[in-house]
Amino acid sequence: KDWDDDDIVEVDVVDDTDGLDADTERAAWKLRELKRVKREREAIEEAEREREELERRRNLSKEDRE
Amino acid sequence: KQHQIAIGQSGEVKRATLQEVRERLEWLAQKKREEMQGVGNVVDLGRRLEVRKE
Amino acid sequence: MSTHAADARRFFDSRGYTGPQIHNQNPIHLLEKPIRDRIITSYYWQEQCFAINEATLCDRAAAMTFIGGTYGQQKPSPFLCLTMKLLQLMPERDVVLEYLHQTEFKYLSALAAFYVRLTFNSRDVFQTLEPLLADYRKLRRRTRDGGYSLTYMDQFVDDLLTKDRVCGTSLLRLPQRILLEDLGQLEVRESPLGEELDDIDNDEDDIVEGDSR
Repeated sequence: KDWDDDDIVEVDVVDDTDGLDADTERAAWKLRELKRVKREREAIEEAEREREELERRRNLSKEDRE
Repeated sequence: KQHQIAIGQSGEVKRATLQEVRERLEWLAQKKREEMQGVGNVVDLGRRLEVRKE
Repeated sequence: MSTHAADARRFFDSRGYTGPQIHNQNPIHLLEKPIRDRIITSYYWQEQCFAINEATLCDRAAAMTFIGGTYGQQKPSPFLCLTMKLLQLMPERDVVLEYLHQTEFKYLSALAAFYVRLTFNSRDVFQTLEPLLADYRKLRRRTRDGGYSLTYMDQFVDDLLTKDRVCGTSLLRLPQRILLEDLGQLEVRESPLGEELDDIDNDEDDIVEGDSR
């Protein structure tokens, strides 16, 4: 009725009501948060590795020159 | 003229202040709660609450 | 400036834009042209977004039932239409934060988060949005094929912080968090899991040891 949405009924297919099962909802969030933390840590480790690799190459080329 | 502005006929819309936004949100929240309860004479209650806040 | 044009002709004037800018451009252009065209020809935009201001926009936002980009025949979601309206209104920062932090209407928070990602500078994007990674309220999302899927506020915010495209919109590049940390602009993020995280870490170590046997 608001606009040309004829399929508004379908909205209910996915229920977005919060707090239906608080424990499960929090547990699911914890899992997502854990994955994020893990991803961040891996990104930091990756950056470290790249930094070390760069350092190593720099040293190598220095020796080459000498 | 106020009405014209309200329906946008002046071609300009008055900017809302933070205060007005807050009041609007409170009013909407109140309305939502009433709808969920689906009770009759809540309009009066809403108004009474608003008045009390002022 | 206490008013803005109801139809905002000026914003769509391609001959030369002279209004206020965000990220050195006409704010409207933070949405791509094809999407803008879809929006301004949509019913929702014409009927529901005309002559609304920062306060009355809340009415529309409160009525939102899903987030998303375009769906079906590339129909723009109300979510995108309201985003464009916000880009046009350019609400005061306090108002944006009020949208974001009010707790009654989660789709308004999501809308504000999207707007923050589009318009704030990198550091503020992280600082403003990261606390919402602890908000696990459910959000209904309309997918491109017109169906619905379930997501969560924290998931949505995480997408905003890590993806290039969200809700059918390409986002300006956000530097990696670690870069801003190195520049001293951001503190290292503390997960809201806090001490629980340490416990889980210990558990994980146990598991790893168990595996190696």
